[in-house]
Amino acid sequence: MLRFIVRRLLGVIPVLFGLSIILFAFVHLLPGDPATAILGQHATPERVAAMREYLGLDDPLWQQYLNYLGNVLRGDLGSSIINNQPVLREFLIRFPATIELTVAAMIFAAGIGIPLGRYAARHAQGWSDGAVTIISLLGISIPVFVLGLTLQYIFAVQLDLLPASGRVDPRAGLEIRSNFVLIDSLLMGRPDLFMDGLSHLILPAIALGSIPLAIITRITRASVLDVNNEDYVRTARAKGLDERRISSRHIMRNAWLPVVTVLGLQVGGLLAGAVITETVFGWGGVGRYVVDGIFNRDYFVIQNTILIFALVFLVVNLLVDILYAVLNPRIRYA
Amino acid sequence: MAAPAIPVAQGVDRRASRGLWGDAARRLLRNKPAILGLCFIALFVVAAVFAPILAPYGPLEGGLAQRLDPPSPAHVMGTDSQGRDEYSRVLYGAQVSLLAGVASVVMGVAIGGTIGALAGGVGGKLDSVLMRFVDVLLAVPGILLAIGIVAFLGRGLPQIMFAVAVVNVPIFARILRGSLLSLRESDYITAARSLGASGTRILLRHLLPNSLSPLIVAATLALATAIIDVAGLGFLGLGPPDPRTPEWGTMLTDSTKFIRQAPWLLLFPGAAIVVSAVGFNLLGDGLRESLDPRMRR
Amino acid sequence: MTAGDILLSVEDLVVRFRTHEGTIHAVNGVSFQLEEGERLGLVGESGCGKSVTNLAMIRLLPQPAGRIEGGHVMFDSQDLTTLREDELRSIRGRDIAMIFQDPMTSLNPVLTVEEQMVETIMAHREISRDKARLRAIELLKMVGIPQPETRLDNFPHQFSGGMRQRVMIAMALALEPKLMIADEPTTALDVTIQAQVLELLRGLTEQSGSAMILITHDLGVVAGMTNRINVMYAGYIVETATTLDLFATPSHPYTIGLLHSIPRVDAVVGEPLIPIEGRPPDMRRAPTFCPFAARCRWRLEVCWQENPPLRPIVDGTRVVMTGTGATHQIACFNPPTEEEAVAGKPLRPGFVSAPPPAGMIDEVGAGRVGSTADLEGLVGEIQAEEGPLSLAPSAGGLPIPPEPEHHGEPGIFHDD
Repeated sequence: MLRFIVRRLLGVIPVLFGLSIILFAFVHLLPGDPATAILGQHATPERVAAMREYLGLDDPLWQQYLNYLGNVLRGDLGSSIINNQPVLREFLIRFPATIELTVAAMIFAAGIGIPLGRYAARHAQGWSDGAVTIISLLGISIPVFVLGLTLQYIFAVQLDLLPASGRVDPRAGLEIRSNFVLIDSLLMGRPDLFMDGLSHLILPAIALGSIPLAIITRITRASVLDVNNEDYVRTARAKGLDERRISSRHIMRNAWLPVVTVLGLQVGGLLAGAVITETVFGWGGVGRYVVDGIFNRDYFVIQNTILIFALVFLVVNLLVDILYAVLNPRIRYA
Repeated sequence: MAAPAIPVAQGVDRRASRGLWGDAARRLLRNKPAILGLCFIALFVVAAVFAPILAPYGPLEGGLAQRLDPPSPAHVMGTDSQGRDEYSRVLYGAQVSLLAGVASVVMGVAIGGTIGALAGGVGGKLDSVLMRFVDVLLAVPGILLAIGIVAFLGRGLPQIMFAVAVVNVPIFARILRGSLLSLRESDYITAARSLGASGTRILLRHLLPNSLSPLIVAATLALATAIIDVAGLGFLGLGPPDPRTPEWGTMLTDSTKFIRQAPWLLLFPGAAIVVSAVGFNLLGDGLRESLDPRMRR
Repeated sequence: MTAGDILLSVEDLVVRFRTHEGTIHAVNGVSFQLEEGERLGLVGESGCGKSVTNLAMIRLLPQPAGRIEGGHVMFDSQDLTTLREDELRSIRGRDIAMIFQDPMTSLNPVLTVEEQMVETIMAHREISRDKARLRAIELLKMVGIPQPETRLDNFPHQFSGGMRQRVMIAMALALEPKLMIADEPTTALDVTIQAQVLELLRGLTEQSGSAMILITHDLGVVAGMTNRINVMYAGYIVETATTLDLFATPSHPYTIGLLHSIPRVDAVVGEPLIPIEGRPPDMRRAPTFCPFAARCRWRLEVCWQENPPLRPIVDGTRVVMTGTGATHQIACFNPPTEEEAVAGKPLRPGFVSAPPPAGMIDEVGAGRVGSTADLEGLVGEIQAEEGPLSLAPSAGGLPIPPEPEHHGEPGIFHDD
């Protein structure tokens, strides 16, 4: 098992290296002087000179790369061109918001998707199965922003049931400590703020989680149906075990496996989708940060937030792979 | 159907099936959801191709006097914030989406397919290097990769097409590589060779049909996500630099400002995206089922 | 449990599968009996209905397509076809145990051997977990698995093929069933292991006094293992006899064909093998004439018109269904003589097998679709409507194919 983990870890490293090389190379592939390209045409000569020194543009390329790498490992991910705020710090401040949103979306997607998939598998070919299939289809065909806007329109504009944007009512006076609204509100002893935070979380979580929900439902259904046909389920029945036991121990224990794999990949989709969702709902997370960065041509913001996203995604995938190995003994001892 | 002539035992059924494609086509036509999907796609393509004929107005025509008018006989989908006819813009938008979608998938197949074919066909070190590269592409999730590329290349439709193509590259690379790998090692290629079938024959009659099916299915489904991704990038403001260009995603960005007064600006472009995506998804699923090489058909 | 008591009586069993492609008539009125402690072989080619018969007996047919549409299965004076599900469940595993062909796929890959054995024992007996574990160790010893205490914690994939099948046998015998059904138990194993496993099976069932039904397509396997043999074809029993009688005087054209198509070590060099020409019949048709007619060298005109019933080879003999004195019966209008049986073909001067009547040409060589061998594919298609839905993970809705495994493609030689 340990060997498996180590092997996977070792596999991640070259990928990160490759990515860092590509990200590093960006600025050098742009036409013209990199420093000017980053800072824009109107930058003062002093700033350009400072940037040149920071980037080490007079050094050979490989040394520049090592500089970059060294900076990254030390936590220096550059600063915003616009407001000079360090990228890493800004990222970490906003990250909890994105985590809250992503986790909520995943709970929504898996919490409904898995039971729904099992239900559809049990009633395969029935009309409820058909309904579930249609829901899945719509889930992957409706873009996040369309769904988000529609939800906003129905629930916020027309019905005025839920807030349209933001994480919490700005007038309510939430103290920011961890920047997790749900945690901070509880730390403050304000359950009303907690509920307010929740109400802000609902629509974006649904919008973001709609695609994973569709996919998880489909995969769960297919997986349960497949496993149901397996020989070992037939053996279990031939041994006279009761259906409940068969369902939980024999079917689900095996059906989980593809679902777990999918969950891991969906986290990636969630991270990516968060970018759009945060834009639609005015959510103060890293997604917005990246988009703003792109508009402002804020080079370091773009370059390094992508790097961090990739790192997070790879780590999550690693954890999922480990979880998969725990569930599937065949991988463990391979 | 076997390529070389194997001595056939007496009584073998000559009433053979009409080959993989004939069978697949028949099964597809019986698949009702797939037919529905084809209809949606037809709608989409017709709108795109015949937009100049079908649209009552030009996509840029309009005056502030008619801005934000609700749907009416003169403007069946209402007007936008510049007084332009929404219906016409949706039709012209279909052109953009179709073009961008198809172009990005074609590019994705070309680039990804080449990478995969090289990796699977040549194998060895080249395989490892190419697949590592693909892993790097996969390390940055979906839209984010596209956003990164557009950030690098600047905004605009060709850039979006390229970005979405790159996001699709890993998928097609894996498919081609997988097909080639398994075929290279499969028994029946060896068998065909041992019966004297030439390399070209093997390529044409065995390799291609087997790799083509997953490719076709994946490409169709990729079209669905490409349409959505292109619109998504447009929504984020990364689309054509000219804000007057009718692109469904950018049209939706505009709609956000006026969502209270003019919900039809959300409804119609949004529905257009959904219908197109549903169409390709249904067709893709249908193709997957009908192209699956069943064991005995 | 005295030998001589009838344990199992299958009467006119009819099983059909309702599929998109039509109805498949898998089993068409099969009747046989089994005494306590007797060992019966069910022999036939793929698709003849031998496995289906047994699955039907304990009602494990693939749902919803498979249905028992006629007949009774009397076991221990209870009709299994009408028993309530929970009563049937207590019989399964405890009184009737089944082992399947492929031990790799028949054992749950994510549960240890201990878990799978203990759950069987505890499902049918009031017994503590520890005692059940001890019993499991005892069973593994019985089937010849070394170091059973440590092996209990292993997973199925950590055993070799032969060992896995021994584990399955151990599991099946755990509760000392009255009837053990072995469905092609050695087909997936190496030839060298086959003999060992068969020996084990025979020894253990003899010891415990269990009756056994051994299903196989391999006549060599049943020769040493069984007291009696039923030969099945297209959902019918076409010949039944004691093992000795069957090999001494095979009487049905199909049985004769089977025996002659086995290459023999002592055959004369250069003598051609006599294959059975033609193909299995289309099981989508309700049978109205002899199902073997298309491939039979002894066929008469009547064979194309009526379905021969199972009758003793010597007319008028009283029928004894079980035991060492069981009557040799065949279903044939024109049985071959003993000399013809030895030769493998008709020897009557001027005899020409009756050609198919006009309008039935497609019977000859027909039937690519619809044999029960196709059932796996068809039934699998029904249950998992999404069928080959790729379980590959997705990113943003589009499945990314996983790193490919190396599958064998169906070869040219399977090209039907």
